[in-house]
Amino acid sequence: MKSLDTRKTRVGAAVCGLLIAVSAVAAVIMASGAQARSGAGELKGAGATFPAPLIAVWQQQYESAKGVKVSYNAIGSGGGIAAITNKTVDFGASDAPLSPDQFARCNGCVQLPWVLSATSVMYNLPGLPNNLRITGQVIADIYLGKITKWNDRRITRLNPGKSFPDKEITPVYRSDSSGTSFNFTSYLNTASKQWKSQVGNGTTVNWPKGVGARGSSGVSGVLSRTEGAIGYADIAYALKNHLKFFSVKNRAGNFARPGLVGIKAASLADRKFSSTNALSIVNPPPGKKFRKAYPICTYSYVLLRTTSPNAAELKPFITWALTSGQQYGPRLIFQPIPKYVVAKGKATLKRVHS
Amino acid sequence: MATASRSVPGPAAFQRRGRVRPGDAILYFVTLLAALTAVVLLALIAREVLADAWPAMKAYGLGFLTATDWDPNKKLFGAGTFIFGTAVTSLGALLLAAPISIAIALFMTELAPGWIRAIIGPLVEMLAAVPSVVLGLWGILVLGPFIVSTLGPAIHGSLGWIPIFGTEPNVGSSMFAAILILTIMMVPIISSICRELFLGVPQELKEGALALGATRWEVVRGVVFPYARAGIAAALILGLGRGLGEAIAVTQVIGNNVAMPTSLFEPGDTLASRIASQYQGADYAIQVSSLVYLAVILLVFSLAVNVLAQIIVRRVAGRHRVS
Repeated sequence: MKSLDTRKTRVGAAVCGLLIAVSAVAAVIMASGAQARSGAGELKGAGATFPAPLIAVWQQQYESAKGVKVSYNAIGSGGGIAAITNKTVDFGASDAPLSPDQFARCNGCVQLPWVLSATSVMYNLPGLPNNLRITGQVIADIYLGKITKWNDRRITRLNPGKSFPDKEITPVYRSDSSGTSFNFTSYLNTASKQWKSQVGNGTTVNWPKGVGARGSSGVSGVLSRTEGAIGYADIAYALKNHLKFFSVKNRAGNFARPGLVGIKAASLADRKFSSTNALSIVNPPPGKKFRKAYPICTYSYVLLRTTSPNAAELKPFITWALTSGQQYGPRLIFQPIPKYVVAKGKATLKRVHS
Repeated sequence: MATASRSVPGPAAFQRRGRVRPGDAILYFVTLLAALTAVVLLALIAREVLADAWPAMKAYGLGFLTATDWDPNKKLFGAGTFIFGTAVTSLGALLLAAPISIAIALFMTELAPGWIRAIIGPLVEMLAAVPSVVLGLWGILVLGPFIVSTLGPAIHGSLGWIPIFGTEPNVGSSMFAAILILTIMMVPIISSICRELFLGVPQELKEGALALGATRWEVVRGVVFPYARAGIAAALILGLGRGLGEAIAVTQVIGNNVAMPTSLFEPGDTLASRIASQYQGADYAIQVSSLVYLAVILLVFSLAVNVLAQIIVRRVAGRHRVS
């Protein structure tokens, strides 16, 4: 009797094990099949950290207004591009427009600008005030390793009356693929010929000098703990973390801060969309219109698939974000996007279907 | 194949006493399936990685291994600095972690009273449970500034004549910070394996040595170390493997610079760190492929380390059995 019992338990255990294994495999298969098809009334997004503060407000407002839940994972522009390419989200977000290679990989994707803000150039110099003055040429020379000390004449003569320390400058940059880096290097491209020929612009470039850090949080972490460091992040991030940032000289000859006024003026710079809906508004030309323009501004893009299983919920949300959603921007230093950008976005959205 | 049939119970094994035993048969096939899954998975990963890396392998060939450029805009890619950074940080960390870990294990098995053992043992193992991203964050916020303000100047001041400490640290992110972080990750692995090894040394051998008038240190040197030699070597190599493959914590503290560092206080980068930081959202197809090429190199490295471990363990164990 006893041996029979043990045999029974053994068979039972084996069958149990088999069942668990089969159900685990089935769960994995079903999960992968259901990737982007989250239940009705929920939208999934992932990508850039840059628009994340505004999207956080949108999530609350949109759910209470329309009853549709939106989740957003701020994993960086690169992560957002990977997520939409692999169809694991309903929308991705990137601060840099997709490169041709990225469009090819993300078969059937469209992008449209949906958020407008600025990249701040931050510094850690205890004892010196906020909004010191700097020019694009000087920023480029610092990141090229040609200006190495804070008391260099090219810096001090822009800031008369301030006493700069004889301190080594440590440039800090993003080590991950970043739309903020794209915005920053695109600006340096226009400000310095040597930068353009030696380094160029991109989400990852070959930084001649300095240290890399992961994400805006990494950059601000290293910057805030390294005296003499200079770095860059979106203005909302700099404000939230109480970091000092520069007033940057624009081509009209004025020193502008990365505020709403400066961003609005800069947004008048480029009204011609590229074939992929990209707009570039860095370093606007000299002219009365751009007198107050801050030179390092950028649109951030939302990435969608033209064939999207949740199109019925997705399209109203994107339309809302382009229109009603913009009113929540100014408090977080996001300038509402101009009308012609809204129109372009709505037109592009027509190509998205389920 | 002949050796395999010796150790694997064929289906005949289920027909003992003339009856089929379904429980054993099911168990056999379930476990066989699991074992095959692991093999197939590894083969699929290897195939996928090689296929993705192929464009870069074709474009840059073996020169990729020594090239020190990483310039996406000029489409120039090379693994030289990353191989160098991986080797320096892993070996450097092993150099620090080995004596610390062995000392911890010795203290806990041979010297510490029971109640101290009961406190320190779990604490050391808890160190292994700290997520690497948290350790990396700690590296940025606490360890980095400490290196810049205190540790770095002290080392540079006293040992600055050695080229590897030849520059003053300006920023916490450096090869040196990565080495310290990796040391912290290696210690719990190496020390817990060594502790088990030392516990496995037969009590009679130790008592015999003590009876002959040996001191504690002589027992450790003459009995414990020789007995556990093969295991210690394997433990060290496991630790090294941890160092080679760690991506997130290293990428947070190493400074991600492509220039060949001249001192440990300068930023650098490793294979795993570069893959982790740039694989997502790389601008160019050839950049993605080059990153996967780095993964191939890392795979080969890890494989070589594992094979080396096997060889060392076999050789040392064999010698031990003879003597």
